[in-house]
Amino acid sequence: MTCSALPEQTRHDAFRSGLCDAIPISLGVGIYGLAFGILAAGQGLSAAMTGFMSAFVFAGAGQIVALERLGTSAGAMIALVAGLALNLRLLLMTASLRDELGGRPLWQIVLGLHLTADENWVLMHAARNRGVPAGYHYLLGAGVSLFLAWVAATTAGAAFSGNIPDLGTGVMDFAFTAAFILLLTSLWQRRGDLAPWMISASVAALWSLVLPFDPSWGLLFGAIVGAAYAGVRSHD
Amino acid sequence: MTDHAIVITGLIAGTAAIRGVGYLIGSRLPSKGPWAVGLNALPGCMIAALLAITLAPAGPPEWGAALVSLGVALWSRSLPLTMAIGVATIALLNSIL
Repeated sequence: MTCSALPEQTRHDAFRSGLCDAIPISLGVGIYGLAFGILAAGQGLSAAMTGFMSAFVFAGAGQIVALERLGTSAGAMIALVAGLALNLRLLLMTASLRDELGGRPLWQIVLGLHLTADENWVLMHAARNRGVPAGYHYLLGAGVSLFLAWVAATTAGAAFSGNIPDLGTGVMDFAFTAAFILLLTSLWQRRGDLAPWMISASVAALWSLVLPFDPSWGLLFGAIVGAAYAGVRSHD
Repeated sequence: MTDHAIVITGLIAGTAAIRGVGYLIGSRLPSKGPWAVGLNALPGCMIAALLAITLAPAGPPEWGAALVSLGVALWSRSLPLTMAIGVATIALLNSIL
């Protein structure tokens, strides 16, 4: 059951559908946000600074990796590069937003780009696959849900770091894996999708198991190789 | 400038640049033909790659829970239910394996 089961009529409906569809994932993001806030407080960041970082970066995985690296005395530049390397996948996501953002005022483009995250980007494509005309306002609604959960939870985590019990983030890791499994099945359109997906998964898995580089590079490389295969195949 | 300030300002500027450059690249690619098909295939390829780098180095509990989640996803099409059963399954498998 999803909030966007019926075709959207207005941009307000679309915004509300996105907001509502993203609530389950936002709850998971909230748990992660609390854990990140505790990590940030342990690194000496105040609650205000943690909230500021979360609001203006809004890329959870990159933030977590950067602060974890900083905590290992790796140095600020290495921590920064590690965080940005993980965020490079956002480049591929925003590259595919031409139809959603094209022709809009600059402020709407900037807002849409800033609120683009893994979860709402995939939710939008999955909703579209169900026949819902999800576009800019759906992306924005789901993005606002994730943004509020992330900023509020990270700020609270840093503010109350001494009073929050172990959140079991190891198990919560799997909530996101399960969510992405469902979203992948929602993206299925035809049998021809299988080959590019298998190529992407195989390349990424081999990269992460064999090569001595960060797995996030394998994610990027795998996604590009699979998408390139789909494009080249359509040309033949 | 402190290490914290370098990391935070660098992440803000760098991540905004990544988002902006991605959009600029995408808006300059042809809207038909192989490029468009490739961009259209990107979401599925990205999620497949993300799941692969998450699950490949994991162990039997994660693989088992992934299979259960896949079954629930195909059966129910429900995001909350898939997440809840996935988490419950990994907790169960971690405790018995």
